[in-house]
Amino acid sequence: MRALLLLAGAGLLVAAKPAPQPSLPPGARLFTEKCGMCHRKGGMGTGLLSRRMDAKVAMLESRNDLTGDTIEAAIRTGIGNMPRISRAEVSDAQLRAISAYLTKRKPK
Amino acid sequence: MVDVLPPGLDATALDRALKAFAAVVGSEWVLATDQDRETYFDHFAIDEAAHAPAAAVAPASAEEVQAIVRLANQHKVPLWPISRGKNFGYGGAAPRMKGSVVLDLSRMKKIEVDEENGTVLLEPGVGFYDLYDHLQQRGIKLWLSVPGNSWGSVAGNALDRGVGYTSYGDHAARICGLEVVLPDGDLVRTGMGAMAGAPTWQLYRFGFGPAWDQMFVQSNFGVVTKLGLWLMPEPESMLGFDFEFDKPEDLEWVVDTLAPLRREGIIQQSPSIGNWLRAAAVLTTRGQWTDKPGALSDSVIDAIRKRFNIGWWSVQVRAYGPLDMTEATARVIERAFNGKPVLSTKRARWVKGDPPEGSPMTGVPITFPLQNANWHGGRGGHLGYSPVLPARGSLAMDQFRRTYALYQQFGMDYHASFAMGERHLTNVNQVLFNKDDAGMMERVDKFFRALVADATTQRYGEYRTHIEYMDLVASTYDFNNGALRRLNETLKDALDPNGVIAPGKSGIWPKAYRGERA
Repeated sequence: MRALLLLAGAGLLVAAKPAPQPSLPPGARLFTEKCGMCHRKGGMGTGLLSRRMDAKVAMLESRNDLTGDTIEAAIRTGIGNMPRISRAEVSDAQLRAISAYLTKRKPK
Repeated sequence: MVDVLPPGLDATALDRALKAFAAVVGSEWVLATDQDRETYFDHFAIDEAAHAPAAAVAPASAEEVQAIVRLANQHKVPLWPISRGKNFGYGGAAPRMKGSVVLDLSRMKKIEVDEENGTVLLEPGVGFYDLYDHLQQRGIKLWLSVPGNSWGSVAGNALDRGVGYTSYGDHAARICGLEVVLPDGDLVRTGMGAMAGAPTWQLYRFGFGPAWDQMFVQSNFGVVTKLGLWLMPEPESMLGFDFEFDKPEDLEWVVDTLAPLRREGIIQQSPSIGNWLRAAAVLTTRGQWTDKPGALSDSVIDAIRKRFNIGWWSVQVRAYGPLDMTEATARVIERAFNGKPVLSTKRARWVKGDPPEGSPMTGVPITFPLQNANWHGGRGGHLGYSPVLPARGSLAMDQFRRTYALYQQFGMDYHASFAMGERHLTNVNQVLFNKDDAGMMERVDKFFRALVADATTQRYGEYRTHIEYMDLVASTYDFNNGALRRLNETLKDALDPNGVIAPGKSGIWPKAYRGERA
């Protein structure tokens, strides 16, 4: 794995998960805190999704096709290499807030 | 799933216990639906249901943990404590013993940093990203040491002897003071913490009399609710080299070159000599290279190396500290490699004031190495196999040859590294597999057992293992007919007569469940 650090443009990785800003709306803050390590730039989820779809939409926050059901299923039942996330780690209320944030229509 | 119960307990008795737990933590933190149970499965497991929990309970404080542990004794319910449950390759969140109730500590997220002294006291739910964000938001000039999968818990990783990339990378060795709920519900603080209000809890490890921090590492003698850890003060500089080596045989002289530098304290981090698959398995999938089954051929290996411009082996060596010192260290390292057949050398340099270097070498957490679970495409995973051997080149080469032959025999792709300790090597292997390939999954278990048998012949033991193989690995520690196991289990029975804390962890079984040993 360490060899990879040379290869993957390690300098970019510091932007993978910016520290959550208290001023962000709850859904965005929770997404950063609970999901950002894998689903922002340089994360495992973003890397794997970019193998399966247009790399431009591998970042969940830029997508307009996510539904609440899809998000809930991915979190609670896992998908591909993503493990299931328990309700102790992301409560149902937090899941709803994350889902609302991700399903909000974004400008193209 | 509804029939998953702790051994010897019926559904009514479990239900009674869960109701008692709910009175402590609130019913929303007793997680007992089918879906809840499944969220604690090991998603890398060959058979996920083999280690299914009966339920989970998620306390928010040490007081709640104490109350749960006392109730577990009353109701004879075995608990499996997890910090954040991201110990992938070793079982994730899943309990060793099927039917255990997961004691999920991920809600416990308090962080107390002492910047002046370079220490932190944290609860088990604090992840590496949480701590990184905490330091960044406050401009605290302390660096983390992070593992390749930084999604997990800082405390949990240290308690499982996880490792990182900086000179603070031996995480268990940096523990300084614990708070632990004992199996009877009592609360103890180790080291100087045994003196109420002592300002030295995170400063001096040993206290007075026996020092117990390491007793709670990889054990089931208590539930750690707070862990003190030393953090590296941000250094003035980080200098080093990325070396590539052309041939498998280079391993021998590379180990013999690095070992004295490590032993003498010139290199203070743990350089990890790893093979070509480390990069390829993260950045690509196997299907991009070949459609042939069996271990990768030499021509594929050549193609991978060409594409990434890497050696058969690579190693990154780093020095941390004032620039005067890191430059001097770099000169010593360079001299040690002078005249030896290095394929290529790249210098690494970060000095205070430079833009962030952004990698784990400077303590930045990452998750992308987990992409290697997708090496075979589809649903994959990996299994850790990590025997410890002396830091001697000829022995490392023998270890490589024997292990490589086993990979070939079982048709698996070689993914390994030799991490240099101060006096030892840890041969970390990640056995990458495809869960949807029944034939391969059948081979993985046999392969793993063959690897352990091979290491045992050399009298090399593993430093850490998956829940499925804890009894197997514990059985290899066989001096005087398993005297260590007898000691551990004597202690276990004395501290935990009902066997409520993590039965089977590290092969340590309490009397109540000894029949469950594999």
